[in-house]
Amino acid sequence: MSLLDGWWDDFFFGLLTVLKVFVVALAIAVALGLLGASAKLSNSRLLRTLAQVYTVVFRGAPELLVLLLFYFGMALTLTWFVQLFDPSVKFIDLPPFWAGSIAIGLIVGAYMTETFRGAFLGVDRGHVEAARALSLNPYQVFWYVRVPQMWRLALPNFGNHMLSIMKDTALISIIGLEEILFVAKMANSVVHRPFLLYVTVAMIYLAMTTVITLVVSQLEVRANRHLRGTR
Amino acid sequence: MSFDFALIATSLPKILQGLGLTLNLLVVSTLLGLLLAVGILLMRLSRRAWLVWPAKAYIYFFRGTPLLVQLFIIYYGLPQFGLLRHSFLWPFLREPYWCSVLALSLNTAAYVSEILRGGVLGVDKGLIEAGKALGLTKFQRASRITAPLAVRLALPAYSNEIVSMLKSTALASTVTLMEMTGVARTIVADTFAPYEIFIAATIIYLVLVWIIQTAFTLVEGYANQYVRKG
Repeated sequence: MSLLDGWWDDFFFGLLTVLKVFVVALAIAVALGLLGASAKLSNSRLLRTLAQVYTVVFRGAPELLVLLLFYFGMALTLTWFVQLFDPSVKFIDLPPFWAGSIAIGLIVGAYMTETFRGAFLGVDRGHVEAARALSLNPYQVFWYVRVPQMWRLALPNFGNHMLSIMKDTALISIIGLEEILFVAKMANSVVHRPFLLYVTVAMIYLAMTTVITLVVSQLEVRANRHLRGTR
Repeated sequence: MSFDFALIATSLPKILQGLGLTLNLLVVSTLLGLLLAVGILLMRLSRRAWLVWPAKAYIYFFRGTPLLVQLFIIYYGLPQFGLLRHSFLWPFLREPYWCSVLALSLNTAAYVSEILRGGVLGVDKGLIEAGKALGLTKFQRASRITAPLAVRLALPAYSNEIVSMLKSTALASTVTLMEMTGVARTIVADTFAPYEIFIAATIIYLVLVWIIQTAFTLVEGYANQYVRKG
């Protein structure tokens, strides 16, 4: 691997960027998933329709297209907005890190919405009624009764969505974020060993997805620990 | 900032020029991927370790790494080998089209073989035992009992995989192919109207997703016509 000499630190910082995008996108996706699922299960027709449009659009459009739309679109909107206050500004763009994290968060949030919706429906109504009878307020019912039980049902799909986020981070190199695929492109322009470099990138991703898979299977064991022997 | 609805309408026909290539990539890679998936499935289901392990490793690699990286390994990476550049494969591997088809097929094969395996494992053991009791051969049991039932069970997940393949074809634009996303990117570079153009492209993709889902609902209805409800 002497070929990669001098590039290890770039790969390392690229990996840090990937991990940062992963964390931010995951947080956005979970928040949107909870909001979306709550909206889909709410009594308000407006909220249900909005959530439906959200999931149809973001699950149907190619990830790359959403990312490009977001990156170039936000640049336009931001420039327009800032020029309202300061006409001397020529051009402002959303940093690729944020454009990418938000775009991936939005896309995977749509999948999370469906997963959480199904999982919320799987929570026994009796538990919710019992909690209400015990005079828990709606906030407590949501966070102490619904979410912990929904979580167990959602975990397997949740793990898959985490893998999607991890793999989608590779797309952000297209809008110029210096993550590992971007580093490999740069390194290749110097050392001209594309196969080795891209396989290195693949191996780093494989390691990341393996870790996620292992963590999720541990979480599943933990989430189902009180059910041991009952099924 | 202005949002030009007319631009959406005028750009739709231009983006549709890429529709043919998008559908071409989708159909060719889906079919090749399905063939490959059946082969991997058979290896994965066999009891011989030297067949099972390569299949497992294949699935692990192609499901664990981003498609974009796989595409780059094939398109930019493989030409590194002089041996390959002088082989009969070179006329194919130097074409971005065949590289995209190869990456998409190899990638989807890993997912589809797991979807099909889920279907096979979901087939009631009793039915296979009944087949044995009736004296059907191993091949007859596989083709008359396991396969049709497994396909029926796998259909919903398979339709999702086709939709995800459609979305993946957009990545071909990163290796210079002018499918719909590629065309949209070129128009945006000319007009710098990202919202209108990319929204127009999104609309076309959404219509295609809708067509795929409707078609699969019909196929599922056909496949399940013998299953009595309730």
